[in-house]
Amino acid sequence: MSRHQLLSKAAAIVAALMCSPFAIAEMAPLDDAGMAEVSGRGGIYLSGDISINELGGPIQNDYFGRCNEQDKKCGARLAYQLKEGGGWMVLDEIRGMFAFEGLTLRVRSIDSGFGGDGELFNRDVIELGLPDTVRFNDVQFKIAASNTPRPTDPGFMQTDIFDVEMQGDVLMQGNLLVFPEGNP
Amino acid sequence: MPFSRRSTFSNAVLSFLMLGLSMLPATATAELEKLNDGELSEIDGAGIGLVLEDFIFSHGTDAPDVNGEQARIFRIAGIQSTDGREVDITVNHLYIAGSGSDYGTNLTPVNLGRLLNPWRIDVVDGNDIGITNKAVLEFAAPAMVDAAQGYDCLGGSAAAGSGTCSSRPATQDWQGERADIGMQMNVAVGDDRSANLNLHARSAVIDGSYLRLWGDDERRQMAGEFRLNFYSPELTINACSQDGTNCGSNIVMSDFVLQLALGNRLQPIYFDVDGSGNFLLEIDTIDAPGTGQIAANGQRAGSDAATWDFYNDYYSNPEFRSNVHIGDFSVGEKNFGSARVEGMLIQHLQIQTKDLAQ
Repeated sequence: MSRHQLLSKAAAIVAALMCSPFAIAEMAPLDDAGMAEVSGRGGIYLSGDISINELGGPIQNDYFGRCNEQDKKCGARLAYQLKEGGGWMVLDEIRGMFAFEGLTLRVRSIDSGFGGDGELFNRDVIELGLPDTVRFNDVQFKIAASNTPRPTDPGFMQTDIFDVEMQGDVLMQGNLLVFPEGNP
Repeated sequence: MPFSRRSTFSNAVLSFLMLGLSMLPATATAELEKLNDGELSEIDGAGIGLVLEDFIFSHGTDAPDVNGEQARIFRIAGIQSTDGREVDITVNHLYIAGSGSDYGTNLTPVNLGRLLNPWRIDVVDGNDIGITNKAVLEFAAPAMVDAAQGYDCLGGSAAAGSGTCSSRPATQDWQGERADIGMQMNVAVGDDRSANLNLHARSAVIDGSYLRLWGDDERRQMAGEFRLNFYSPELTINACSQDGTNCGSNIVMSDFVLQLALGNRLQPIYFDVDGSGNFLLEIDTIDAPGTGQIAANGQRAGSDAATWDFYNDYYSNPEFRSNVHIGDFSVGEKNFGSARVEGMLIQHLQIQTKDLAQ
């Protein structure tokens, strides 16, 4: 087999391989009645826990460190500026763990219920099923105001406004329904 | 035949190239350009509607067990008294549940927001709400509706056409969209732990409330407009001993209405943090309109019409005013009757936190 023949065969094989993912049977449109029969049963069921800096964050310096180091801060910090050249609002020392079982996510069609609103609404919504109880393990955060975004910046000053601590089972029942609203 | 071989080869290469080229448009994108404030303000996409169905929220602090361990803790701390002692607010119970909860002892589900009039997160065209050429981020509770379709905000009647609130009170057939909200807390200053303070609002509605945020070009700062409407047929405050057995007199405010307007389109609220790290909230004095005189007798005739109209709108617009109505105010057995504070207009406000430790 000549070099040209070999190359042309190789090219044809590569082209055929590239094509194969796109080779599909002919698609036929579904009519309205057919569409009405389609029922998406799928949904997502989530269980798990989310830890935020439970033992300490990734940054280790003279200010941030592990939670067992007494003189160091170990929570996450989020700073946002409200005015050009002004100071920073801070959500500081965010840490803890949230654990939940049975957070669900699905698309739901509403055409009844809701004290008569469902029938008039008659649309699909995204339903986020709350997990009944969320276990908070040593969840903490602090609201503060600071003159610099980072505590390691020169001249750093911060006023802590208040801090919140939550622990144990929090009862959170119900469904959050999300849908587009208004006239685009 | 060298010619035909070359032709087969070039055809194969060509088909391969064409296939490759045909896939390109999927990845080719045009350059993205920034929108300016004016263009952005024209965009009015559908917002996000939110409804909480069969909702209950409850959290609190448990009494310590024999080992001094607490299963549940909910504490707000970090505040200091003027003499430098730590102030600790232990929240014994915070709940949001259906009406008829009997001060949080019997929690039943409630809906918050209606499918036809939900809570909304939206970017609205500022030109529609008097904030010229701005895109405004709005978080809004269900809007007020026409009195022909709405419900009495204080819950006397569950019949449509009885008021302007969209959220419905609970009936035998429907749990309604009005929540019982309550908080029982204990405030400690240093080691000095006070009695429990309890606050309960029955069948509360906050329809018509909103928070609007946008950027102010001149001050280069975040500006906002906040309106809080709060209606409850009964708001109760009382103090009990720490174990909750002995309670003092109830302060009961029946038919309580709060309509609070902080900032408006002429005088937004500004948020800032100053150079020493203190939070600053400001409602600036109103900018005077262009030059134009008001006649000595204050009448429109003889005054500059635009200036007169500007001040007339500012002083007469009910949206800029805050009101508090209490249908009946009683402490224990004593009844003080009704109270009204109406038409408060905030002309200048500045609140600054101060760190006493410095």
